[in-house]
Amino acid sequence: MPVKLPWLKGVFPALVTPFVKKTEEVDEEAYRLLIRSCLPHVDGLVTSGTTGEFPYLTRDEQRRLVEIALEEAGGKPVIAGCGASSTQEALTLARDAQAAGASAALVVTPFFLHPSDKGVYQHFYDIATGVDLPIILYNIPQVVDRYLPRTVVQDLADLPTVVALKDSSGNLTYTMELLEYAGDRIDFFVGHDEVVLPALAGGVSGMILASAQVYPDVWQQVFRLVAEGELDEARALQRSVQKLSRIFCRHGGGVAVKAALQLMGLDVGVPRRPLKPVGGALLHETRAEIRLELEKLGKIPVPEARFEVPTGPLAGRFADLEITPDVIAAHGLRTGSGAAGEGLNRVQIDLIAGGKRTPLGDAYALQLTYPLHGREALTAILEPALTVRPPTLLLPALPQKNLRQANMIYGPTQAALARAIVDALEAGRIPPAAVEEDVMVALATVHPRALDRHALYHSVHAAAGRALAQAFPGTTDQEEGHHGLQD
Amino acid sequence: MGYKTEWFKGIFPALVTPFTTHDTLDEAAYRQLIRFVLPHVDGVVPCGTTGEFSYLTPEERKRAIAVCLDEVAGRVPVIAGTGCPSTRETVALTGWAQGAGVTAALVVAPYFLKPTFNEVYDHFRAVDQVGLPFVLYNIPQCAGTHFRWWTAEGMLLDFDHTIGIKDSSGDLPFMEAMFEKVKGRVAIFVGHDEVVQPALAAGADGAILASANLIPDVWQRVYRATLAGDLETAQRWQQRVQKLVRIVVRCGSTQAVKEGLGMMGLPVGHSRHPVVPGGAFRREDRDELRLQLELAGVDKIPKAPVTFDLGRKQVQTEVFATPQTPRTISGFTLKVGEGFAGPPFTELAHVDLLLGLKDGPVGRAIERALAGWGEERGLRIINERPRTLLVPTVTLRTARQRRLFEHAAEGVNLAIRLSVEDGFLPEGILDEVALIVNAFVHPAASIAKRVDFNNYKATRYAIRKALEGRPTVEELIDEKAAARHPFRYAP
Repeated sequence: MPVKLPWLKGVFPALVTPFVKKTEEVDEEAYRLLIRSCLPHVDGLVTSGTTGEFPYLTRDEQRRLVEIALEEAGGKPVIAGCGASSTQEALTLARDAQAAGASAALVVTPFFLHPSDKGVYQHFYDIATGVDLPIILYNIPQVVDRYLPRTVVQDLADLPTVVALKDSSGNLTYTMELLEYAGDRIDFFVGHDEVVLPALAGGVSGMILASAQVYPDVWQQVFRLVAEGELDEARALQRSVQKLSRIFCRHGGGVAVKAALQLMGLDVGVPRRPLKPVGGALLHETRAEIRLELEKLGKIPVPEARFEVPTGPLAGRFADLEITPDVIAAHGLRTGSGAAGEGLNRVQIDLIAGGKRTPLGDAYALQLTYPLHGREALTAILEPALTVRPPTLLLPALPQKNLRQANMIYGPTQAALARAIVDALEAGRIPPAAVEEDVMVALATVHPRALDRHALYHSVHAAAGRALAQAFPGTTDQEEGHHGLQD
Repeated sequence: MGYKTEWFKGIFPALVTPFTTHDTLDEAAYRQLIRFVLPHVDGVVPCGTTGEFSYLTPEERKRAIAVCLDEVAGRVPVIAGTGCPSTRETVALTGWAQGAGVTAALVVAPYFLKPTFNEVYDHFRAVDQVGLPFVLYNIPQCAGTHFRWWTAEGMLLDFDHTIGIKDSSGDLPFMEAMFEKVKGRVAIFVGHDEVVQPALAAGADGAILASANLIPDVWQRVYRATLAGDLETAQRWQQRVQKLVRIVVRCGSTQAVKEGLGMMGLPVGHSRHPVVPGGAFRREDRDELRLQLELAGVDKIPKAPVTFDLGRKQVQTEVFATPQTPRTISGFTLKVGEGFAGPPFTELAHVDLLLGLKDGPVGRAIERALAGWGEERGLRIINERPRTLLVPTVTLRTARQRRLFEHAAEGVNLAIRLSVEDGFLPEGILDEVALIVNAFVHPAASIAKRVDFNNYKATRYAIRKALEGRPTVEELIDEKAAARHPFRYAP
């Protein structure tokens, strides 16, 4: 009967492997700094796991990572990732880890060629019996393309040196089934950041996580709270990191973790090719989202940003379009303004509408050659290929300084403005002649620190509705009737 | 034991079921559709997957089958879709169809709850006892279960009334297994439009297809050429319609076929909810399907004369016109069109296009931009007839972004050239109007060919949308509730 290891519990970060830009060499100094930053909150370290890009590392590099981790760990256990496609190579890595002094080996299901269940068993059996080191089985079907079969795990758990299984699938039905069949003999670790709390509550002993090097403090608290039975507090903490955890699990993996560390001032360099630091699995847009979430968590400072809405007479707010109060009067342009929302979701929409042959037509065309840097106009659309009528441009009133601010405009604000316009069309508020003859421009003032797309959508929809009602007062006002213009 | 009939071969359209604006069966449109396909087909299939059988009440299915039988009047075989999730209902409807006089039934694998293969076998054994010849129907994309080859083999050989199998999976290894087991003893039909020619070449007896509503003549050419051993001709026609049928198969076949027929002047209404316009069959797919239906040899959308009224001048042109194309187009002060094409995400194209008179807002904006910030912001004239200003939506910062934007420019220019050729930008307006094309290239774009081609597509769609005034207010109101801007949501 195998003996459970007393140290095998708690929070373990699956460390990224820092690489120097251009050369892609391992950056040992950065690795040390990374370990020092998370060490106070963790119970041990994991080198060259999936987050550590193990398939891109040589044998020598993996051994070196173990050595550095041991030097920096201050006596805490170091689990060495020993994953390989072939049994021979995995065994070699495990022997290296043993020689270096690692506490255990984390061995992933053999990948690429798909061995049978018998082949998978043999793989782990050969390693468990070929090296004098505790073995942690590692299930991660997202990259291996198969689950470690339950019946194989059930048998492997009989081997004295197989001590645990790390389940990164996030599939709790699988975890629960394994706990049922092997929980008496081996420990379980959750490896999926999105389901840490339910897995802990379900009976796993700890976690090996990508995000445990970004917010190890949060996970340490979750671990402690669950142990103490304080589930409400643990739930709130899990929820506070849910979105970031989701981004790490589903939108970029180790690359996203590197981006987060970078934003926090830890220069862990680039991933190895073919992975791209950004623009591949991790989109620019998602990186902007990571920044926003780290701000919320207090991991990085929130930049100062002033929210000033245009004030003064409405007719005077369209100077950027070269539309003066005199022009408005001379050409009978319609204007309307509306505001809605509270706090960061406060929005003001200043709208101007008028004939294509008026100076507004010229302003419309000119805006699409983008004279206002950082305030590029965009067409109001319900979704791509659903352009509203009359044609309407959305012009941000405040300069967009970063992608995170742009994310609030391109999408939520754009679609909400479009929806308000189509609602006005349906209500018969906008006269049919205007649909053909007019254009509109909406100046949108959105808080530079807005971060809730859903709330923002509703603010913009309400504000734009008010602006439209003012610009097209009582044309027919059938808002209750929802008549189309064709009726 | 199943058997092979003389008549079950060739091209069979899986007919769409036309609906009126009140969502009832449109019998007149159904008859018109049948009259359109009949000269080119070897039989018809009412109430198949493309016929939205799963959205019809039993009474509606019976009515559609009855109308189809009446219109066909014995000229070709009628194979009616009678499959239901439960055995009880399937047997009842198949029995009714036998009495109504259908030639055979097409019976889909029982779906939603996923019966095991022996439950599937017994389901079809019950259908066999009805006594009507029937065709097994494998469509794992919808039914959720893929026939095991041994189940299909057993059903085809053990039962008395099986005359064949329709395989819509597109899984050619499965089809080859069917050839190995049952070829010559029952008919094997392909039901996946993207692999018709290879399946026929490999030995399939015929095809039951969604796209055979639109292009029955093309499929007949593929079939005949294959029979004659002229593989080269068969391949050429398959390849000519490959994009067309990929759109049909992958983008919600019923709505795609229905909108295609609508553009061809055969109005059959929309699919029933929850299928919606602009859903799986996206707006950009409709624009692309239209272009594919116009292709030489396919020739499904006729040209019609259209007058461009520039105010001071009238220009006559001929364009591929759908019922939505106005026969007189005016308002050339400023026209707005938007085009979108993707995937992939980082190579998608989004184009805001302005078309207007040179001495109007568009022409004036171009000259002001060039004189002012043009060079600094990377704006440039990429065409003189019509005078076209290309504007990058996102500031070009790196050499790589500038290189890829060149590919976008090539795509935009191709769209303009082809629009000049197809009449949407007629010679008579080329010196009168100007274009502003504001094109988005994602900063992380990689694949130059896709950037080029997606910008071509987006611009080509945008030109037509600007001229035809699409989307219409009616479409906007119809689609506003379900519209989902992809950037509205957090990751």
